[in-house]
Amino acid sequence: MGNKKARAIASVLIFVLAAALIVTGAVGMSQRDSQTGDEILTAMRTRSVLIATGEGAVESYVAIAADEARAAAQAAGASMSEIREAVAAAEEEARNNSSANLLDYETADTTGLDAALETLNAALSDYRAEEAAAQAAYIAEMEASGALDQTEEEVDTSQITSEADLDAMLAEEEEVEVDMSGFVATERMNELRAIADEQYASVCTELMALYDTLDQEALDTLESTIFDIVSQAGDDFASEYDRFAAAGGSAALENGLQARIIRYGDDLIYVGIGLILAGLVVFFYPALIKKLGVPRMIIGLFFVLLCVVALLYDLSLSGLMSNTLVRMGMNSILVLAMVPGIQCGIGLNLGLPIGIVGGLIGGLLAIEWQIGGWLGFLFACVVGMAISAVTGALYGMLLNRLKGSEMSVTTYVGFSIVSLMCIAWLVLPFNSLELRWPLGTGLRNTIVMSDSTSFGHLLDNFLSFSIGGFTVPTGLLLFMVLCCYLVWLFMRSRTGVAMMAVGNNRRFAEATGVNVDRMRIIGTMISTMLGAVGILVYSQSYGFMQLYTAPRQMGFVAASAILIGGASTSRCKISHVLIGTFLFQGVLTLGMPVANALVPQSTISETMRILISNGIILYALTKSGGDQRA
Amino acid sequence: MRKNVQTLLRDNAVTVMFVVLCVVSFFFSGQSLGYVAYELLGRLSRNAFIVLALIIPIIAGMGINFAITIGAMAAQIAALWVTEWQIPGLGGFAVAALMTIPIAALFGFLIGKLLNRMKGQEMIGGLILGYFANGLYQLLFLFIFGNLIPLHTDGLVIMGSTGVANTIDLHRIASSLDGLWRLNFNTAFYICMAAAIVYCIVRMALKKVSAKKGGIALGVLVAVLALYQIPAIKSGFSSLNIPVVTFAVIGLLCLANVAIMRTRLGQQFRAVGQNMTVANAAGINVDRTRVIAIMISTVLAGLGQLIYVQNFGLFQTYGAHEQVGLYAGAAILVGGASIVRATNGQALLGCILFHTLFIVAPLAGKNLFGDAAIGEYFRVFISYGVIALALVLHAWRGHSAKRDLRALSEKE
Repeated sequence: MGNKKARAIASVLIFVLAAALIVTGAVGMSQRDSQTGDEILTAMRTRSVLIATGEGAVESYVAIAADEARAAAQAAGASMSEIREAVAAAEEEARNNSSANLLDYETADTTGLDAALETLNAALSDYRAEEAAAQAAYIAEMEASGALDQTEEEVDTSQITSEADLDAMLAEEEEVEVDMSGFVATERMNELRAIADEQYASVCTELMALYDTLDQEALDTLESTIFDIVSQAGDDFASEYDRFAAAGGSAALENGLQARIIRYGDDLIYVGIGLILAGLVVFFYPALIKKLGVPRMIIGLFFVLLCVVALLYDLSLSGLMSNTLVRMGMNSILVLAMVPGIQCGIGLNLGLPIGIVGGLIGGLLAIEWQIGGWLGFLFACVVGMAISAVTGALYGMLLNRLKGSEMSVTTYVGFSIVSLMCIAWLVLPFNSLELRWPLGTGLRNTIVMSDSTSFGHLLDNFLSFSIGGFTVPTGLLLFMVLCCYLVWLFMRSRTGVAMMAVGNNRRFAEATGVNVDRMRIIGTMISTMLGAVGILVYSQSYGFMQLYTAPRQMGFVAASAILIGGASTSRCKISHVLIGTFLFQGVLTLGMPVANALVPQSTISETMRILISNGIILYALTKSGGDQRA
Repeated sequence: MRKNVQTLLRDNAVTVMFVVLCVVSFFFSGQSLGYVAYELLGRLSRNAFIVLALIIPIIAGMGINFAITIGAMAAQIAALWVTEWQIPGLGGFAVAALMTIPIAALFGFLIGKLLNRMKGQEMIGGLILGYFANGLYQLLFLFIFGNLIPLHTDGLVIMGSTGVANTIDLHRIASSLDGLWRLNFNTAFYICMAAAIVYCIVRMALKKVSAKKGGIALGVLVAVLALYQIPAIKSGFSSLNIPVVTFAVIGLLCLANVAIMRTRLGQQFRAVGQNMTVANAAGINVDRTRVIAIMISTVLAGLGQLIYVQNFGLFQTYGAHEQVGLYAGAAILVGGASIVRATNGQALLGCILFHTLFIVAPLAGKNLFGDAAIGEYFRVFISYGVIALALVLHAWRGHSAKRDLRALSEKE
C-alpha cells in the first residue's frame, strides 16, 4: 500500500515539474516573435558586431603602433633584432591599451547602430532568401539534366565491408552534393546585394562614430564577417541566438535567464513531454510491467528517451522517423517470417538464412538476365520462393526428427548453409559484370541494385510522397501490410488453425487427429519462403544485395525484433511483428545520430545493436526455460 | 569382429570422415609432412588447453559451453592490464593468470546462474550470451578503458580515436611459457616412447591388463619407433622444437580432468549430467553443481586464452575471442565427442584433426580450385557443419531411442 502511495506522490511531483517546464517553455516560445524577443536579438546583434569590429579596430591600431615603433627604431639606427624587439614591445603595449580603453560596451550609445543593423538585417535576409531560392532552382535544373546520376554511380562498392558502412552510405545518399561551381548570381540577387551594401555604408558611419581608430579600409575587410554575423540563410530565433552567443553577444543581455528560457523554450517543452510520459509510467508501473514485461518497457522508454534527446540536439525528428519507417518496412517481412515458425511449434526460426539464401539467388538471377522493374521483382520473388519451398520442406523434415532442440540446431544449420553458400558465391557461373568482380573470381560482396536497370527502391518509391521532410514509402508499407494480411488470413484458414494448435500444444493436437509433422513442415516452409521474399524487400530498399557472411546474423535480428514486439518462443501475433520491428528499428535509427551527437565518431550504436538484439533473445530463452517442450 | 568394426565406424562417423578429409586435403595441398607437423605442434600448444576446458560442462549435461568466449574475454582483460603495467616475462604471465582466475570465476558464476534459468537450451543460450558479452566487452574496451580509466602505455590507445587500439602488443610476455624449456623433437619423441613402453610393461607386470592387449600396445609402439627411423620421416621432424612446459601444462590439465571425475564433485557432475531429476532426488544441489561446472570451464578457458595469446605475442583486441567457442566446440566434436560424452583423448584427437584440416584446407583449395578463399570458406563451413551434424545426430539418436522405448513398451 505504501508502495502505491509513494508511486502516486512521485508521479504527481513529476507531473507538476513537467507542467511547470511546459508552461515556461510555451511562454518562452510565444515571446520569440514579440517585442521582448526582438529586443534580446537586437542587443545581442549589436554587441556581436561591436566585438567583431572592435577586434578589427584593435588590429589596425596595433598595426599603426608597430609601424611607428619600426620607423622610430630605424631612425635611431638599431640592429635588426633590436628593431624586432621594439616592434613586438610596441604591439604588445598597443594591444593592451586598446583592448582596455577601446570602448566601454555598457555605456556606449548604440541606438543609431541598432537601427542601422536592423535595416541591414532586413536587407540581408531578403538577399539570402533570394540566393537560397536561386540555388534551389539551379540544383533542380542540374538534377533534371541528369548530371547527378553520374556522381551517384561513382560510389565505390568495394569499400563497403560492414553494415555500419552501409548505414553511413545510406545516410549520405539523402543529401546529394551538387557541384555549385557553375552557379551564377541572378540579377535580382545583385540588386538585393546592392541594397544591402548601401545599408552597410550607414552601419559603417555609425561604427566609425563609435571607434575613432577605425578607417574605411578596415571596415571593407570586415564586411563579409559582419554580414555573416548579422544574417544567415534560413535564420530563426534559435540560430540567430546561437550565432550571437558564439560571437560573445550574450554579455549584452540584461536578463540572461529570460533570454535562455526564450531560446530553449522548445527544449523545455520536449523535456516536459518526456517527463509526463515518465510520470505515466511511474503511475501505471505494475500494470505496464504485467502487460509489456520488463525488457519491452525498457526498450520502449529508451526509444522515447532517444526521441527527446534527438529533439534536444535539434536533429530532424521527422527525417529520422521517416528513416525508421523505411527500415521498419524493409525488415518487416523478415520478421514476419518468424510467425509461422513460432506458430507451428519450431520456435524462433534462427535458420532463416536458409530462406534468405534462396531469395538472394532469385535476385541474382533477375540481375543476371537483366529483368528489371516490377517484372524483375516478381521473378526474383517467385524463383526465391520456389527454391525456399524445396529447402524449407527438407529443413522441416529435418526439424521433425529433432523436436525439442530446434533452436540450437537451426542456428548451426543456418550458419553452415551460409558458409556453404560462401563457397557457392565463389564458384557459381554468373556472368554479368554487375555481379562478378571485374578481376578475380566470384561474385561481389555487395551488389548494387540500380534503380533504373534492376528493382532497387522499387517498392520504396512506388506512390511515395513527402510532407515536410517526412517521406512515406507508400509502396513498401503497402507490401508489408499485404504480406501481414496474407499471413493473418492463412492463420484463420483450416490449415492455419490446425498449425496453431500444433504450436500451442503438440500432444493435444496429436490427440485430435492433426498431422503434427505435416503442419510443422508447412510452417517451416512458409517461414523459409517469407525469408526469401523478406531479403528481396530488404535488398531493394537498401539498394544493395549483401552476399557471403552478411545473412548469418539476420535470423537473430529478426528473432529479436519479434521478441521485442511481445512474442515468446511459443506464441506470437501479427501485431508483435509490427510493434517489434518499429521499436527495434526505431531505436537503431535514432541511436546512431544521437550517439554521434553525444560522442562523435563512436561506434556505440553498433554496440547497442549487439546488446539489444542478443539481450532480448537471452531474456526470451530464460522465459521459455520453464516450460520445456518435450 | 566385423560387426564391431561397423559399429565403430558408425559411432565415430564424424571422426572417420575427418581423417579421410585430412588425408585427402593433405595430399592435394602438396605440403611436406615436416611443415604440417611444425604448424600442428604450434597450433596444438596454443589451442589444446581451451578444447580441454569444454569437457566438464559436457559431462555435467550442459552441452558444449559456447560461453567460453567469455573466459577468453577475461584473459584479454588481464592481458591488457599486464601490458599497461609493463610486467615482463614469466612474471607478467603469472600475474595475468592470477588476474584471469578471479575475473573468469566471477563471469563463470554469472553465466552459470543464467544458464540455470534456461535448462535444456544451454548451448544456444551460451552462444547468444557470448554475443551479448561481446557487446559489453566492446563497451568496456571502447568507452571505459582508455577514457574513464586512463591507459598510459604507448600503443595501447591510439591518438585521435576512442578506446583501446585494435591490436595489443604483448612482446613483454610473448612466449614466456613456451620459451621456458624447449626440447628437440627427437629427444622428446624418444623420451615419450620410452615412458609409454615402460608404462605398458609395468601395467602388464601388475596384471592390470591382459598380456594380449599389452602385447598389441607394445607392438604398436615398437612399430611407430621403427617407422620413425625411416630417414625421410625423421628428417621432417628433427628440426622441430617442443615447448615442453606448455605441453606439460596441457598434460596436467588432462590429469586434472581425470582426477576431478574421481572426486565427489566429479560424481555429482556425472549424476547431474545423466538425469537432473534423479540427481536432485539423490540430494545433489543440481543448480550449484552446474554453476561450479561452468565456473571451472570458464576459468580454464581464460587460462587457455592466455596460453594462446602469449604464444602469438599479440592479439586482436576486438576479434581474438570471437571464434574461440566455435573452433573449440568443433574440435572436440571432431574427436568423436558428443554433446553428452567427452574424454581427454577425444579432445586431443579432435584438436589434432581439426587443426590439420585448418592447415591444409586453404592450400588444397587453392590447388584444386585455384582460389585459396574456397579453402578458407570450406574450413569455416566445416566448423559450423560439424557442430550442426553433431547436434542433429545427437537429437536424432535421442529421438529414435525414445521411439524404440515407446515401441518396446507398446509391444509389452
